[in-house]
Amino acid sequence: MLEIRGEERTQRPVPREPWTKPADEGGPKPPDVRRPDPSDLLRRMRRVDPDQARRYRQRSGQ
Amino acid sequence: MFPARLLGLETEYGIHVEGKGAADLLDEARAVVRAYAGTCAGPWDYRCEDPRRDLRGFRVDQLASNPQDALYDHPGRPAVSHEEQRSDRVLTNGARLYNDHGHPEYATPECLTLRDLVAHDRAGERIVLACARRRSQETGSHIQIYKNNTDFHGMSYGCHEDYLVPRDVPFERLHAALVPFFVTRTIFTGAGKVGVETDGPWPETPYQLSQRADFFTEEASVDTLHRRPLLNTRDEPHADPQRYLRLHVICGDANLSEFATALKVGSTSLVLALCELGWQPLFRVRRPTEAIRRLSRDPEYRWLVEREDGRTMRATDLQRLYLSEARRCFAGADAETDGILAEWARVLDDLDANPLSTADRLDWAAKRVLLETYLEAEHLSWEGELLRSLDLEYHNIDPDYGLHAALVEEGRLRRVVEETDIQSALVQPPADTRAYVRGDCVRRFGTAVQRIGWGRIGLRVEERTHWVDLRALVDGKVVHLNRRLPEAATLAEWIELVRGGKKDAGN
Repeated sequence: MLEIRGEERTQRPVPREPWTKPADEGGPKPPDVRRPDPSDLLRRMRRVDPDQARRYRQRSGQ
Repeated sequence: MFPARLLGLETEYGIHVEGKGAADLLDEARAVVRAYAGTCAGPWDYRCEDPRRDLRGFRVDQLASNPQDALYDHPGRPAVSHEEQRSDRVLTNGARLYNDHGHPEYATPECLTLRDLVAHDRAGERIVLACARRRSQETGSHIQIYKNNTDFHGMSYGCHEDYLVPRDVPFERLHAALVPFFVTRTIFTGAGKVGVETDGPWPETPYQLSQRADFFTEEASVDTLHRRPLLNTRDEPHADPQRYLRLHVICGDANLSEFATALKVGSTSLVLALCELGWQPLFRVRRPTEAIRRLSRDPEYRWLVEREDGRTMRATDLQRLYLSEARRCFAGADAETDGILAEWARVLDDLDANPLSTADRLDWAAKRVLLETYLEAEHLSWEGELLRSLDLEYHNIDPDYGLHAALVEEGRLRRVVEETDIQSALVQPPADTRAYVRGDCVRRFGTAVQRIGWGRIGLRVEERTHWVDLRALVDGKVVHLNRRLPEAATLAEWIELVRGGKKDAGN
């Protein structure tokens, strides 16, 4: 197996903090398949203009 | 993140301006970019760019363009210079904001960690939104900005990923490793889309995983605007070309989910690290552009992929071949790498067990659950233009309107960064990459900038332009330079310090 060349790699201390924070600190939580609370989300969804996508036209990008 | 490599994201935003059409978007996107109110510098240094150069060692005569775009061109439109049309702004955080083909584009500064990259990607949303609001106040016309990849009428625009890779990794190895990986990573990178946008013998598809999968017709090429490839071969390293290439990935979706962004970039960086070690898979995916579409549209989420050796595998199992090798080589390297390895494994397990259980992490699943909730509540079916409008609104980056933003507000999507990280990224560059040099220059000496780009900066000192070359500053040594930059009291001292003490006569 080839070695990664050390001089091209940053030498830094290993970060102590995890990639995401534990659930009790507002970070990752167990998978949650509860349906969103209809009260607020549905209200917002009902406000969406049904013709918005029909009108939405863009130039080609990359 | 191991290995330490420069990472970046470039997002072309969709834009809708009240009372305007697609023919106006070149002007409107330019006006939005020019509404940026913070400290910035320009113009961009285009002389170091050559998008026709191919990683395979040749240069094409011209790039393919989308003929449908011509429908939106005004022959009598007043001519605007290329510089004004692009209206490039380099910000104090080292990022680039400009008008790309009628889309406000935000390119993050170079980052080494996923946390920094996600924070800067999120900061880009805030910056583009602030520009749009400012422009709206000036004109009285409401402007909406969407972080998505399609207009639902066949026009697509990208969210590109950038990875610095040692030049000595053979292209054939990158090709062999990346194409199957790109096809199958769609199961966690997809941002979800209502409907299909390409003709062909495909069954009706109410909802698919990916915004972009419909738009890839080539396996590998240098093009980006038309006849798009899964593996883009543009060769613009923005670093020493003898030592590095920059992998420019165009086949991913624009993710709103911080988790999906981190997993997309983190897993891809680890696969590239495997390539750097000499590893490549022993199989190829059969007809990969067809495979990614089939996978994206599979209504039963079986996600079967045909290999050229005749075997069929689930995309999750194919991903596990990469994950297993990455674990073997990189487990324990650092906390962020271990985090990616663990989350990558968990997502694959959850996708096998119950795909929609990933609705707290992945955009396509979050959007699907949201749409199903609405359909149930309103007693509707998977039909009609309204669903596309709801899909579009998921990507609206204005928190007063966006459906993704509403899910975040309710705590239903996992976060990777804190609000303070995003606030900092609005103005501060990462402290451990050359973006810090660029940002520091803009903040302190922006008025002296003559040209600025990823790889160099031209600065005017006493009637002469002095070039500062950033192309060598891609490794860890730049941290020491970044710490010393405050020592330079004048522009001349700053230039000398960045050049490593070498004086230059300028030109």
